[in-house]
Amino acid sequence: MIKQKINSTWLPTILLILGLSTIAFPLYMTIVIAFKQPSEMSNTISGILSLPKHWSFDNFREAMEVTDFWRSLGYSLLITLVTVVLSILVHSMIGYVLGRNKNHNKFYGFVYLFIVSGMFVPFAILMMPLAKETAELGLANWFGVILLYVVFYMPMNIMLYSGYLVNIPLALEEAAKVDGASTWRTYWQVIFPLMKPMHATVAVITALAVWNDVMTPLVIMAGSGVNTLPLAQMNFQSQFGTNYNLAFASYLLSLIPILVFYVICQKQIINGVVNGAVK
Amino acid sequence: MKNDRKRTCLLITIPILLLFITFNTIPLLRGVVYSFTNFRGFGNYEWVGFRNYIDLFSDARVGSSYIFTIKLAIVTTIVVNVISILLALALNSKIRAKGFFRGAYFLPNVLGALVVGYIFNYFFTYLVPALADMAGTGALKSSILAEKNTAWIGIVVVCAWQAVAMNTIIYISGLQTVPEDVYEAGSLDGATGWKKFWKLTFPLIIPFFSINMVLCVKNFLMVFDQIMALTKGGPAQSTESISYLIYNNGMKGGQFGFQSANAVVFFIVIVIISVAQMKFSGKKEEQL
Amino acid sequence: MKGKRLARLLFTGCMLVFAISLQGCGSKKDNSVTEIEIVQYKREASNYFKMVEKAFNDTHDDIHLVINSPNDASAILRTRFIREDYPDIVGIGGDIEYSYYVDAQILADISGYKGLQDIKQSYRDIDESLELVPVEGTFAIPYMANAAGILYNKDLFEQNGWKIPNNWNELLTLCKQIKDKGILPFYFGFKDTWTCLAPWNAIAVGLTEPDTVKKVNRGETTFTKEYAEVSKKYLSLLEYGPGSPFAYGYNDACTAFARGEAAMYPIGSYAVPQILSVNPDLNIDSFVMPASDNSDGNTLNSGIDLQFCVTEACENKEAAYEVLDFLFEDENIQAYADAQNAIPCKEGNFKLASMLDGMKEYIDAGRMADFQDHYYPSEMSVDALLQTFLIEKDVDNFLETFDNNWQRYNRDIIRMVKEYEQNNKE
Repeated sequence: MIKQKINSTWLPTILLILGLSTIAFPLYMTIVIAFKQPSEMSNTISGILSLPKHWSFDNFREAMEVTDFWRSLGYSLLITLVTVVLSILVHSMIGYVLGRNKNHNKFYGFVYLFIVSGMFVPFAILMMPLAKETAELGLANWFGVILLYVVFYMPMNIMLYSGYLVNIPLALEEAAKVDGASTWRTYWQVIFPLMKPMHATVAVITALAVWNDVMTPLVIMAGSGVNTLPLAQMNFQSQFGTNYNLAFASYLLSLIPILVFYVICQKQIINGVVNGAVK
Repeated sequence: MKNDRKRTCLLITIPILLLFITFNTIPLLRGVVYSFTNFRGFGNYEWVGFRNYIDLFSDARVGSSYIFTIKLAIVTTIVVNVISILLALALNSKIRAKGFFRGAYFLPNVLGALVVGYIFNYFFTYLVPALADMAGTGALKSSILAEKNTAWIGIVVVCAWQAVAMNTIIYISGLQTVPEDVYEAGSLDGATGWKKFWKLTFPLIIPFFSINMVLCVKNFLMVFDQIMALTKGGPAQSTESISYLIYNNGMKGGQFGFQSANAVVFFIVIVIISVAQMKFSGKKEEQL
Repeated sequence: MKGKRLARLLFTGCMLVFAISLQGCGSKKDNSVTEIEIVQYKREASNYFKMVEKAFNDTHDDIHLVINSPNDASAILRTRFIREDYPDIVGIGGDIEYSYYVDAQILADISGYKGLQDIKQSYRDIDESLELVPVEGTFAIPYMANAAGILYNKDLFEQNGWKIPNNWNELLTLCKQIKDKGILPFYFGFKDTWTCLAPWNAIAVGLTEPDTVKKVNRGETTFTKEYAEVSKKYLSLLEYGPGSPFAYGYNDACTAFARGEAAMYPIGSYAVPQILSVNPDLNIDSFVMPASDNSDGNTLNSGIDLQFCVTEACENKEAAYEVLDFLFEDENIQAYADAQNAIPCKEGNFKLASMLDGMKEYIDAGRMADFQDHYYPSEMSVDALLQTFLIEKDVDNFLETFDNNWQRYNRDIIRMVKEYEQNNKE
């Protein structure tokens, strides 16, 4: 038994370490380029992989200036956090309702398919109409962007939540019902906490999608003077010249918050209460 | 009691459904309206009836974009799901430095498209040929992104590289719903490794497998960022995905009406594929 | 209980964020000041425009100028147009995008603006001919032109005693000479499809009439006829480029040229800043693409790179004109030309960047014609067609595809042109 345990942890570890090289190399390149000057760029192997001549944070400082970093970061954080919170509250709720009813009630079955199929609408066809509609409704601002995100990620999150529900026994709800709790209370007191690992998953997936998204804010907020980080980062590129060094520095900076968020969330994915509760 | 449940469910569903209709269904219908016009994206337009739809089916460029996109979606979905399941199992086992590994494998997903594009372009253009040279093989001498027949492989690699993280997370959260006693029961029976996985674990994570399949197929059918970052549709228009055409010709070019028709058809195609997928995996779930 | 607490926590957090963010709104502008907004598409010139914006606002109390230089401006303009959120002035290129805007009646007639008198006639003519069908009025004031030909490494040329070629044969001879020395004559970055257009335009301008596209639209000729020589000549340059030109992008090509890996790079003057960022000491000059077989038959490829249009929706045209006056002050024009190696469209004695020395003679003499691709609709993706052509090297197939696609993508325009012809005959 003991021997087997050792084998079963060493094999995955070795494979994981090998796999890591596919991530370490791009990361190394990103960091090295972020510290170099444009004049240190070249097309030769040794030229691109060599360490920068001087380690200085000038690129980072300049990148922060170009993107108006703190302000853009503020808006990115605002939009991402509000979207994530709303997603967890709203999507888990509707995911629960649809997940529990879709198989034996035609109406909910239809609503489920209706919303989930919304996931497959190519964004390009929505862009123009949405730009027009949000402007008409006075929502051509960051709040409109959040509303749109809540709608865009609803189909995927509903799928995730209702998929997760399959493994939560009905008996738990019925027990609460016998105690006289309303459906609303049963949901928030029994089901919602049980779905914690899925909340964390949804939080990570939604946050990541929102954090990196350029299109929606571009279409909805263009010209409003408000930038998110990815929007501001578009300033590094133009057709006739891209300052990769500044851009890479900037991307490294914007990577940190979402990585921290992920590390916090992933603990929740694993330490879910389900394992104990479902037994 | 029954009434309370019904009322609560409706009270939750209706406002959310309305919100969804406002920001998804209505704009979609407006888009459908544009598909019957020769709208450029601004200015005046005329009704052209079904001209755009008729053109769609005779347009070789649109046709080859469907073939390319579907090929890419199938191959990438398989690659990603195989890797993700393995990775999820590895990351879920009792290894050291779990947190570190999980963080590291998440990284590809966070790097912006510009960075990914630059690095992989460099990788395929300079590094791979140099390595191939050192290894003494004649193959891979020039960038695979420069060849019509191989460029799509480069896109598969990058798509998979980026998408594995997301799918792994979903599989990991699926593995959390597998009770410990299932494993224990398995090992008592002497089931080990693959057998244990197929017989005991996999059936329990089928809902997550089907979610991942649907998400993968959908995401890769809609592939856009990776195309922009790597090839911009080239070489020789061999990697023009459907979304790339819709965006490039509809939003940036003057074909908004025509590409709206393309988007409508595309939407219908994906819905059919995905509903079929869901029905199929739904049956599987019930069987188990 | 746990769930409720969690939910409440999330709600509170949500409200808090709302409250904080709402405080940010609320500062309104003074009503007596007219605000003029410019959206211009030359992202790389954003520093210049920031400077202009500041200088203007420092000297004007009644007008507040805002200049936006977004990346991907055409997508941004479109979404703003559909929202009916029009900027007062747009800075765009003299290409088909402009033709569409004129046709969509988004732009105002500015023929009353007196600054137009100072603009070189040749550039005003270009704007006229860009209109899909002739429209009464003037809708743009050209600001800067660019020129495309061949950039060359001056030091390499001087060391080896190479001469600037004056006709096609001399160019090919030069390429052979360079190749014999073991140096790569040309670098290409054809992985970025748009760079395929640069040599194409430069060759086409010398071998075809400027109004080729219009003639095709009127049904008087075909591209198969007009572009045959251009295609063949373009193809013959390929053997003097890198072995696998489709592996390298624009950025790779700029870097390689900057590092002295090739003697020439057929691209526009806009590439110079990117090249110099890699190697600031490189000595770059340029010459006109000698596409013609006769030494005096060449034409410089030059079009309007940036022009300003006042939108129909602009409420205060006088204020917009005042902004234009400021932009067109000699001093500002010179500053732009210096920063971007551009060619001013205004009459006057401006100093041109040194890498345009080789083209100066043509510019002064006005021996210039517009880029052919300024008339191509972007959705036809001529750049991608060219890349395909260069890969497959099949001239006949390429020209046939070109003609077929042209008819297909320009159907509505061709119909419009024909209707116009019909009406004006009667």
